[in-house]
Parts: sequence; structure tokens; C-alpha cells
Amino acid sequence: MATAAGFDFRRWRLVLLGGLLVGIVLFAAIFAPWVAPYSPFDLDVAKMLQGPSAAHWLGTDELGRDVLSRAIYAARISMQVALLAVTVGLVGGTLIGMTAAYFGGLVEQALMRAMDLLFSFPAILLAVVLMASLGTSVLNAMIAIGIVFIPGFSRLARASTQAVLRQQYIEAARSIGMSDIRIIFREILPNITAPLMVEAAVAFAYAVLLESALSFLGLGAQPPDPSWGNMLSTGRGFMAQAPWLSIVPGMAMFICVLGFNLLGDGLRDVTDPHMRE
Amino acid sequence: MDIRSRALQDGRPTLSIRDLTVDFPKRDGAFRAVDGVSLDVWPGEIVGVIGESGSGKTMTALSTLRMLPKRAVVSGSIELGQRRILDLSPADMRKLRGDRLSFIPQDAMRALNPTMRIGRQVGEPLVLHRNLSFKAAVSRAVDLLRAVHVREPERRVEDYPHGFSGGMQQRAMIAMGLALEPELIIADEPTTALDVTVQAQVLKLLKEIRDREATSILFITHDLGVVAELCDWVYVMYRGRIVEQGSVERIFMDPRDDYTKMLLASTPTLFPREAAI
Ligand SMILES: Nc1ncnc2c1ncn2[C@@H]1O[C@H](COP(=O)(O)OP(=O)(O)OP(=O)(O)O)[C@@H](O)[C@H]1O
Ligand SMILES: [Mg+2]
Repeated sequence: MATAAGFDFRRWRLVLLGGLLVGIVLFAAIFAPWVAPYSPFDLDVAKMLQGPSAAHWLGTDELGRDVLSRAIYAARISMQVALLAVTVGLVGGTLIGMTAAYFGGLVEQALMRAMDLLFSFPAILLAVVLMASLGTSVLNAMIAIGIVFIPGFSRLARASTQAVLRQQYIEAARSIGMSDIRIIFREILPNITAPLMVEAAVAFAYAVLLESALSFLGLGAQPPDPSWGNMLSTGRGFMAQAPWLSIVPGMAMFICVLGFNLLGDGLRDVTDPHMRE
Repeated sequence: MDIRSRALQDGRPTLSIRDLTVDFPKRDGAFRAVDGVSLDVWPGEIVGVIGESGSGKTMTALSTLRMLPKRAVVSGSIELGQRRILDLSPADMRKLRGDRLSFIPQDAMRALNPTMRIGRQVGEPLVLHRNLSFKAAVSRAVDLLRAVHVREPERRVEDYPHGFSGGMQQRAMIAMGLALEPELIIADEPTTALDVTVQAQVLKLLKEIRDREATSILFITHDLGVVAELCDWVYVMYRGRIVEQGSVERIFMDPRDDYTKMLLASTPTLFPREAAI
């Protein structure tokens, strides 16, 4: 146990670095109205497509809006979408995976074959199909991305549950008369949260990318609401005159995705017993 | 004399097993893990079941708890008090477990949930069977831990299992088993994982509990020394069958079955140790 040895910086450095990047993005998203120097919607035709300057640190877009402010507000949408999508995937996948592993037999067969089917669709295609039937909106984007995540979480939850089921404390819980439902939520769930949290961090990064891809395709956040994806999409048309229109949302996405991936990898190392000396 | 003194005092055994068989189906027929076992445990009696590894001791215990592996096929009859265990519905059986019937497993460390505080775990049977609140259960857990001689129980209920030594973990399991003053405690090699001094303390505790609460105890072991120290009556098991039964004195002084003789002969340290007690 690391408790007696004091804080082991080296073991936690990935978590700290990832946490720092994620923290910056979350801070910007939550406090956007205070952090952003301008409103993301204020048009100023006189100032369109200006390069970075003292007034507009990261330049202005084709309608004269402040790019930094738009990128900051876009973080809000990305974080909201990612949070809800990961929640849908995590909750749905965990319930399905735990149920499958706990009851086994036909229940498990049916659930896991359904997950295989869902998993075999390319993620972006699945999201596009779901959006096509649900209609395009940010909320539907969240749900679509969340459903894409369910198979991955369910497999992880199933494997982790199977490992926990072999533990003697499950037998002990049965021996004091605990019901199945109670065993699942009180005995198993707390013991599979570590791997699920690792997966959630990685899924968060993926959700940000998926949301951007959907917005880029015009299926996510609708203009004038800013999202990194639709900013990139517009920026593409001005690549030669105004490269900052693409670079800024691209960098924002990069920082965010890198942060969540580092956090996920770091948590994996910290919680994986095999990585402990 | 080979008389079961308590049988003369009380009319009815706490536990009565008749012609119990446990089969595991295989491709060619079945493997018979328990083969026509009959045994009784009278009120306030500590009954030992001794036998080598694989002789069916645990399967006999698990039959009584109705916690055999799913594919096992059971026949025979098991009565706890007036209840016919094998005929109970799963829900009624669950009500008995941890209430009228407790199980103390071999490896306490692995039988405790690593993510739950000791107080909550020890008090859990009260939450399950007596609808106690979390707080009330934990405060009862303090008394229970005190009764099994855990020092500073008020502080200890807040600990997680890894903060407990092996002996204390086993005491916690015993405290949990005692929570609702069961009619019968089944202990499956509860001291095997402990070193000799701690083992002696735990055995002393079980005896003390029997003397104080008049609880019946079915004690499974492969250690003749433990039987000599603790039990009133012994059943010797070999390859799924009871080959001999008798009072501890009689089994030690005048073993009749060949397997029992072999068992005694292969435990040369026993008599000096027994003499020392
Ligand atoms: N799930 C199972 N499937 C098939 N056979 C099993 C299963 N579980 C146990 N057995 C067999 O049943 C027999 C009795 O096992 P049991 O666990 O009761 O032995 P035991 O006397 O408790 O031994 P030990 O001292 O090692 O605990 C063993 O031969 C074992 O191989
Ligand atoms: Mg056993």
C-alpha cells in the first residue's frame, strides 16, 4: 500500500499531468462567461478574419467573432456532450455487463451477443444512423455517442464482475442471506469501479472526438452555437487566409483529448495491481 | 464410554442430515462428492467433521446452506430445527442464512469485502434480517466485536479489512456469524489460514461462544489436533462417506476404522500436544 510510503510522485505523474490539462479545459468550460474575453456571438463585420492581435489574442472568424471566446464556449458543449455520453455508456454498459456476468447462462448469451452486434458497427456510422433516426440536436448527439459506448463498458463490466464473482466475499455475502440485487450493487459494484473509471476517462476523450466529428459533419451543435467540430468545419474553408480558425479548435481538442488519455493511462497504472512494485 | 451426553438431555438435534448425496454430472455418469452422509449436531454441541482434502466436507457444509455450485445434484434430507432445508424456497432459505444459520469460511481475509468498512460488514446481517439502520447496525457491531475480544472496537469498526490482522479478520467473521444468535454455526476450516497461537485463541473463542450462547457448532477441519482441542463428537469422512463417528476420546483411544487409524498414525505430534493442553 502506498499510504505508509507517503506520496509517490512518479507513480502519479501521468494522473497529475492529465488532471492538469483536463482541469484547464473544465475550468474554461464551467467559467466560460468569466474567462472568455468576448461573447462568442458578437458579430463585428469590420473585424472579420483578423489575425491574432492584442485585442483578439487568437484572431477573429469570418463574421468577426472572437475565436478564443468561441473556443472556450465550445469547451462547454464538448464537456456537456462528453459527460452525458459517458454517463449513458457507463451506466448502461455497467448494468448490462454486471447482469450478464452475475446471472450467466442464456441471459448472458443474449446480452453479450447483442453487444457484439452493436460493437461491430463503426462508431461514427452508428452515431450517424442514430442521429438520423433521432434527429440532429446536441442532446441526441449525446445519446447517440453514449449508445456507442455501451458495448465497450459492458464487456469491461462483465469481465471485472466475473473476476469479483470468484472472490470469497461474494460467497460470504450469500451466506449471510444477501439478495442478488444487493450483492450486485453493494458487493460487486464498488469492487469494479477502478477499471470502469479508467475506461470512462478514455471514453471521455473519445466522446470529445466523436462529438467534434459529428459537429464537423453538421450533425452535432448547430451554428451559431460554437463547437470545436463546427469551428473546424468552417475553418476548413479559410485554411489559406486564416489558418488560426482551424488551428485553435484543433489545439483545444488536442489538449482536451490528450488530458483525458493521460488521465486514463495514469489511473490504469495506479490502480493496476500488476504495475505495483 | 461412547455416549452422546447431550443427546440424552434434549429431545431434538439442531441439525440433522440423513442420506445426503451430492453428485456432479459428468459426460460418463456422475462424480459423487458426498455419498450417503448422515450426521447430527445437538444443541450446544461442537461437532467435528474431519477428513482429507476432497473427502466432501465442504460440499456437506454447502448443502446445509444450500450454496452448492449450480450444477451439483443433491438428494437426502437436511433438517435445521423443524425446517426441511432442501424443500425451502430460495427466498425462505435466504432468510435463514445469516440469521438461524451462520457460515464461517476458511480464509477470513478473502471473505471480507475490501471496499467496505468492518463495522458495516459485521452489522450487515442485522440490516438484512432485522431492518436495522446503518448506524444502529454499526453500533451493534461494536458490541459484537467486543464480544469476540477485538480491542478498541469503537475505533475498529471504521477500519477497512486490510487494516486488520488475520486473527482479527477471523474474529470479525465470527462476530458477523454471531450477530443474530444463530441456532447453528458452520465453520469450514476457520483456523487453517492462521498461525498456531492465533489459531488457539480463535478455538478458545468458539468454545466460549458455545458455553455462553449454547450455540451448536459444526466444525470442519483436517487437523486432528484441532478436533482434540475443541470437539465433543467427531465424524470421520473419507471419499464422500462417514466412515466412523464417536466421542473425541473414543476416536482417539480406540479408533475402529482403518482410515481413522491411519489418520491418527500420521499425526505423531498430536499426543504430546494434546497432553500439553
Ligand atoms: N464444482 C465442482 N465440480 C465438480 N466437482 C467438484 C466441484 N466442487 C467440488 N468438487 C469435488 O467434490 C469433492 C469434494 O470436495 P470438497 O470441497 O467437499 O472437499 P473437502 O473435504 O472440503 O476438501 P478440502 O479439505 O480440500 O477443503 C472433491 O473431490 C472435489 O473435486
Ligand atoms: Mg473444503
